[in-house]
Formats: sequence, structure tokens, C-alpha cells
Amino acid sequence: MLRRVIITAIMMFVCFIAQTSVFGAFSVTSSTPNLMMILTVSFSLMRGDICGMLVGFSAGLLTDIFYSDLIGFYALLYMYAGYLCGRFHKKFYPENLILPLSVITLADFAFGIVSFIALFAVRQRFQVLYYLTGIILPEAVYTLIVAIFLYPLILRVNTWLEDIEQRSARKFV
Amino acid sequence: MHSELPVRGEEKLHIPGKFLLLILTVVCAALMILTFNTRIFSGVFNTVAGIIVTPFQRGVTTIAVWIGDQAQRLDNISRLQEEVSALQEQVDTLTTDNTALQQNQYELAQLRILYNLDAQYEDYVKTGARIIAKDAGNWFHSFIIDKGYNDGLAIDMNVLAGSGLVGRIVDIGPDWARVQSVIADNSSISGMVLSTADNLIVDGDLEMYNEGLIRFSKLTDNAGRVTIGEKIVTSNVSDKYLPGILIGYITTIENDANNLTKSGTLTPAVDFEHLETVLVIMEVKQTGDSN
Repeated sequence: MLRRVIITAIMMFVCFIAQTSVFGAFSVTSSTPNLMMILTVSFSLMRGDICGMLVGFSAGLLTDIFYSDLIGFYALLYMYAGYLCGRFHKKFYPENLILPLSVITLADFAFGIVSFIALFAVRQRFQVLYYLTGIILPEAVYTLIVAIFLYPLILRVNTWLEDIEQRSARKFV
Repeated sequence: MHSELPVRGEEKLHIPGKFLLLILTVVCAALMILTFNTRIFSGVFNTVAGIIVTPFQRGVTTIAVWIGDQAQRLDNISRLQEEVSALQEQVDTLTTDNTALQQNQYELAQLRILYNLDAQYEDYVKTGARIIAKDAGNWFHSFIIDKGYNDGLAIDMNVLAGSGLVGRIVDIGPDWARVQSVIADNSSISGMVLSTADNLIVDGDLEMYNEGLIRFSKLTDNAGRVTIGEKIVTSNVSDKYLPGILIGYITTIENDANNLTKSGTLTPAVDFEHLETVLVIMEVKQTGDSN
């Protein structure tokens, strides 16, 4: 259990740093993929809604501390993403790639819509079409592309962890 | 969805999902309300986050910049050889021009003294800083620099690049600070037209910025003296920005529907696509109510 928490924390940490420094490609204005969403949704699918919720909460909190004026806002969004995607946990099989990738893309898209409503529409920025095609869709597509490579990695780490846990559980029997 | 059915491999965990969701939702809401009204957490969180995360961001950025530099260096060598000969010719013409300009400079200095105009922001104490990370999302253009209050920075200090305004510090830790840029959608600055001293408001706008522009509004210019190409600088009445820092140049102007004010767009003086280092002015604007 402790091992799982530590490894998850390390993964989150690496993803956060990659998201903010590598993928930014040193331009303040270019589009970045949402690695935090990939991580949250992956854990939620692999481990169920509680795990997804906790991973989402921590990922959101990390984003909040650095980049948000309202600490707790992204934590809330990612947490609900983790919780809701946990519904697909029953339908999850490690061999199936289509389900996780489509859930990740959908979740990121929904995340974009909610961010738009909560951060922009309330300030009377109503150019929905522009935000949709200029920001939300590119981010979702970019996230999908990165997820194609990142998700199998996360899956492999999870399978490895489950193997270790099962082995140590068998020892006690 | 009842998550009382045990999560795979973790039979010990028996908290119902909905209950946990409710608790964390309340925690988030409480955090949001607290941070909206106070700055209770920012000190603690920022210090912890700065100690753990910033060194890695700095390292990764340094490595990536180094790799980029090496690739560019190879690419440049052949091009440089051609350029050297072309440049030599330019040097000759420029030397002549330079002599003429030095004379102008001397004349300008004399005139400045005459008009008692101080060179505006050459007087401020500045410090250089490197950008080590950018915003995690795609909505607001803010970024992290590698200096914080240990280097003498403070919230609301103005940030420049080259000769133009980049933004101001909105969040700070021991060795990092978050800069909100003027192109960010939630940024709004009181500016003025340099030549006529007419005040206006400069608003960052996400949609505009992709065309390389920022929006301005509420320009009162009854005489119609403001034209395209005029310099816009930060105004004397701004409560966060020091006066007279160049923001950009007017690109378009149009009359508002009320026929009293004008609005339009301006081209920022700073190239935000290629920012790597910035200058921070080590001085916070003094407003009457601050002390």
C-alpha cells in the first residue's frame, strides 16, 4: 500500500514537471497536453473511483498551488473526473486500449468545457466557438496523442504493482 | 455506483466512495472560500511546493534549453559563414552611421537635461531571471521564474523583457515567483497614450492574442489626436504598474457605440512566443493606501 502511494506520487510529480516545463516547449503561449488528466483517468479506470478520486484531488491540488488563484478549484474538477470515470472500472480490461483512450479524451474535453464556463463565461467571455476550436479541442487532441504513449506505461507500472501485491498476499496464506 | 465492492487488491479499504467524495468536495469548497478571501495558505503551500518542485523544473528546463542550443549551433555554423562576409560590408556602413548617431545621442542627452526629463526606467534597479516553467493549462498565460523572495522579489513587482512590459508577480515562494503576463485573459492594466497622455484600459484577451494583439478600451480622445502606431505606456494612475513602461503600439482604433470612448487593439512590445529571460524591477509602486 505504502509502495503504491509513493510510486503514484512520483509518477504525478514527473508528469507535473513534464507538463509545465518540457511540453511547454519554452513558449508561454503554445498548447500543452493535460498529463494530470491522463494520470487521474488511468488510475480511476484501473483502480476504481476511490483511487481515481484521491489521485485527482492530489493532482488538482498540485496544479492549484502553482497556477490557480483559487486553491481547491482544479482539485475539485480533477476529483470529480476521477470519481466519474471510476464508473467504467467494471468494464476495464488491461488489453482494451480503446476504452481508456476515449474516456481520457472525453474527460479532458469535459474538463475544458467546465473550465471555460467557470473561468471565462462568468466573466462575460462568450465566444464559445473560438474557445472550443482554439483551446479545448487542440488540448483534447494533444492529450489523446500523448495518452497513446503514456497510458501503456502507467498500465505497465500498475500491473507490476499488482503482481507484487498478489505475491506478498499469497505468502500470508 | 456503490464502491463498497472492494477495490481490486485493496480489500481493507471500505470507505463508501460517495461519502469520501462529499468530504473532499467540502474540503475543496472550504479551501476555495478561504483562498478567495485570505492568503492564509499561500505562504505555507508555496514554500513547500517551491522546495520540492521548483528545483526539478529548473533542471529540466536547463537541460532542454541546452539540447535546443546545441542543435541550433550545428544548424547555424554553415549559415554563419555566409553571413560573415555580408556582415563585414554592413560593419563599414554602420560605422559611418554610428558616428552620426553618437552625435544625435549627445544632442538628445543635452535636450533631456534641458527639459528635465529623466530617462524613464533606466533608474529602476532591475534583476534578471530565467523562465523555468509555464502554466499547466492553456487558458492563462502565466509562467514561473527562478527567483523568489530570497532574492528580494515581492508580489506586484513589474516584469520586463527587452524594453516592454511582460507582466507582474502575482505569487511568490522562496526561490520562485509566478508572473501573470499582460496578454493573460484575466489581466487588465491602466495605460496611457504616450504622446497625448490620454488614459485607457489594456485588457489581455486569449482570442486576440493568437493574432498577436491585445485589446484596449475606454480611450477618451475627443480631439481625435490618437493615431495608429502611437506608443501605449503604463499610466501614472495604475495601482500595480510603475508609470511609463512601454506596453505596445496601437494597431487599430475604432469608435465605441457610445461615441464617447474608443477601443481597439495594440501590438505588444514583447515577443511572448520566445521569452526565455525577463527583468524584474525591484521596486513596488507606492500607492497612498499601502502603508
